Amino acid sequence: MLDHLAAIISDGILLGLIYAIAGLGLSLVLGIMGIVNVAHSAFIMLGSFFAFELFRRLGVDPIIAFFLALPVFFLLGTIVYRLLLIRVERVSQSQGLVAMFGLMVLIENLSTIAWTTDTRVITASYTNASLVFGSLYIAQVKLIAGVLALVLTFLFWAFLRFTLAGRAIRAMGQNRDAALSVGIDVRKLSAVMFGLGIACAGAAGVALGMIFPFSPNTQVQWLAWAFLVVILGGLGRVANTLIAGLVIGLLQTVCTAFLPFDYVYLVLYVLLAAILVLRREGLTLAVKRAI
Amino acid sequence: MNTASSAPALKIADVVAGYTAGHPVLRGVNLTAQPGRITVILGPNGAGKSTLLRAIAGFLQPETGSIVLGDHQITNLPPHRHMEHGIALLPQGRSTFPELTVAENIELGGWTMRGDRARLRGAVEAMFARYPHLRELRERPAGSLSGGQQRAVEIARLVVCDPKVLLIDEPSVGLSPIVAAQVYRELEALKAEGRTILLVDQDVRAAIKIADYVYVLNSGKNDVEGDRSAFEGDLGVMVRRWLGV
Repeated sequence: MLDHLAAIISDGILLGLIYAIAGLGLSLVLGIMGIVNVAHSAFIMLGSFFAFELFRRLGVDPIIAFFLALPVFFLLGTIVYRLLLIRVERVSQSQGLVAMFGLMVLIENLSTIAWTTDTRVITASYTNASLVFGSLYIAQVKLIAGVLALVLTFLFWAFLRFTLAGRAIRAMGQNRDAALSVGIDVRKLSAVMFGLGIACAGAAGVALGMIFPFSPNTQVQWLAWAFLVVILGGLGRVANTLIAGLVIGLLQTVCTAFLPFDYVYLVLYVLLAAILVLRREGLTLAVKRAI
Repeated sequence: MNTASSAPALKIADVVAGYTAGHPVLRGVNLTAQPGRITVILGPNGAGKSTLLRAIAGFLQPETGSIVLGDHQITNLPPHRHMEHGIALLPQGRSTFPELTVAENIELGGWTMRGDRARLRGAVEAMFARYPHLRELRERPAGSLSGGQQRAVEIARLVVCDPKVLLIDEPSVGLSPIVAAQVYRELEALKAEGRTILLVDQDVRAAIKIADYVYVLNSGKNDVEGDRSAFEGDLGVMVRRWLGV
């Protein structure tokens, strides 16, 4: 029984770390820039296909693809910001939402044309291997993806906390006019921030693609996961997002272990509704106090 | 710190600007802020005082007119580039970055010096030497400080990169009389260092007390202007006229 519980907890923690990076970019872009990037999950899905194609065509290991995804998707994010968001941002937030929704549909449709709706998996040398600690078995691929997610979360946290550019990005989210007054080029930093959010989405896609089967349609499910993390963790705080991801990962594995599969999503979405209805900022404040 | 010799004059000529096209708040304002002086802008609510500061600071693009600093045309300069020209704005209301620490707030004031980290660190430490009461608060989030302390952080952040022209909007709003008096003393100290100060204030009496020259705006236009001595009489008459009483 204890071994079973330990397996559930370790599985939940590793999944939670990946859910955290799936929500991190969304949370930071929404919290700091005020952009509801509903296309975030489409970039996650593209991240999975990025790893899939690198592995299939060039034999590049998904671990390498994870790090390659960061600059590639960062560049993609800054291009999207400069071509699309910079134009709609001036008009209104709702225009931005519509634009991002359009982008999501476009990416999903183009992906369906490119890869069809068939489900894909990435089968690396360690995909089906397990590590054994006493009587505890941990899927090697989950451990690798979890550690990668943790490293990325730490890098994001350290960047925002300890670098002047990171502090300027946080300042921009707290008082945009004051940031402009001290000489910060808010538009340039917004492009950087959006690029970082998309880089995070791409890397999350690689990590998710290492574990789960995926297709262009999977992004809708991942969008729900990412929003669940954001709503639970609040906006713009790396540590809160990490904790929210861990809570959701643990809840999912516990529910999967003790409930019929069909009830797992029901529990998570009821939780989501309950948070929204009862006290939207409640858990955020609780987490803030705990840190 | 002494910038007196290099502080340029700020000249505003026939500026028309507003928040909605075709509905200007400023309807042809003319003003000169002399170097090393405190120029005060007074006027009733809605006269366009804060709008004028926002236009000078680049937050509003004038429809017509010009804004010139020394020999530099800055009329259409975006707000983040004003600091490069030595112009700094202290906006109305709280403008700290509340979740950043006091030290981080002041450090960001020196954003234009970010290429020279040693100089930036030195400038931040100089601010803690200048405002020693902030030193012990340096690791506190700015949002957790009192109103007066936050204003001190804002002033330190304003002057950390040694700007020559300060645009100050309602510096005493929400402060106790004692703290407000300290703020006005600090503005006089900044003027004594040779900085050009353009001050918008609702506290007519306090503003006139430190002014070298006063402009009064009304309905987005110049009304009256003159040296401080011209405004030292019965302020009640002037205020009653603004109110239309």
